[in-house]
Amino acid sequence: MRPELLKGHLDALLLAVLEPGPQHGYAVIEALRSASGGTLDLPTGTVYPALHRLERAGLIASEWQTVDGRRRRAYHLTPAGHAALGEHRALWDQFSAAVAAVLSARPRPAPA
Amino acid sequence: MNTPPARIDAYLAEIAAGLHGPRRRRARILAELRDGLDQAVADQITAGLPAERAASVAIARFGTPAAVADAFAAELTIGYARQTLGWFVATGPLVGIWWLLLLHPRPWGLTALVAAIPAIPLVAAGLATTATTFAATGRLMRWLPEAGAGRAVVAVLAVAGLAITGDLTILAVYLGSDAPTPPLGLVAVAASLIRIGFSSITIRRAAALRRRTATPDRSTVGRNARR
Repeated sequence: MRPELLKGHLDALLLAVLEPGPQHGYAVIEALRSASGGTLDLPTGTVYPALHRLERAGLIASEWQTVDGRRRRAYHLTPAGHAALGEHRALWDQFSAAVAAVLSARPRPAPA
Repeated sequence: MNTPPARIDAYLAEIAAGLHGPRRRRARILAELRDGLDQAVADQITAGLPAERAASVAIARFGTPAAVADAFAAELTIGYARQTLGWFVATGPLVGIWWLLLLHPRPWGLTALVAAIPAIPLVAAGLATTATTFAATGRLMRWLPEAGAGRAVVAVLAVAGLAITGDLTILAVYLGSDAPTPPLGLVAVAASLIRIGFSSITIRRAAALRRRTATPDRSTVGRNARR
């Protein structure tokens, strides 16, 4: 998949991955990779800043935990994040239905 | 867990060299990346790879150090801008209070106050710039046009410039008058000089960050983001 196709959708994808419950950054990125069947295979290190931006926007929050002596940052959706995900889904349904309708329309053969 | 820490350390050191911004924020980014890398190596070892090969695969999937550092540039610059603007707002009263005590008009009135302390409109402009930047880079960016790193750093340059102009204006007005200089006056002059020094350093740092963020993004999801 061409990377530029992801532009504008990464926020919604990360919110959707976090919807079931809190996860640390690496798990979020791996979940994105596996849930898309490997299609959304972004360089892991470049996805963390997108999580930080979502936190700055108040759509997710994070807390540092100590697991087996290691510091780990876990992210979870905020109420604003749940609402934003719902809006993203509604917009995507509308957009994808419109694009599918146009792309699936095949021209009729011209009458002889 | 049998991970080759030297490979990971070297990789993180390369990323660290490309990160520019608040020190604490950089340390947290590196701690988070280290945790992710350790987990990635552990996953590869669980999948059957030897430790050295597992580290190579994990590092390759994380992206080149340049790509990872570039991906964080905007967040670090915005973090720097918010921290610096917050510092100007928090310390502003520590400078302004002395000038207010020294030069406040009798009787009080807005017009008389601005005439006595001509830097006040500049303070208002600085506060408005800071409030707008905080709103457009924080939680309100869901409803407002989002400000990127470039706009945030321009706001820092503007506020630092306003601070220098305001301090120079008030110093010129005060030192240009024939009034005797009481101890309070010396404190006010010293406070303004300290802020002029800090603001000059801020302009130099912010200009350097602006040059860095203005360079084309090599990272994010680009084809060259992996080794």
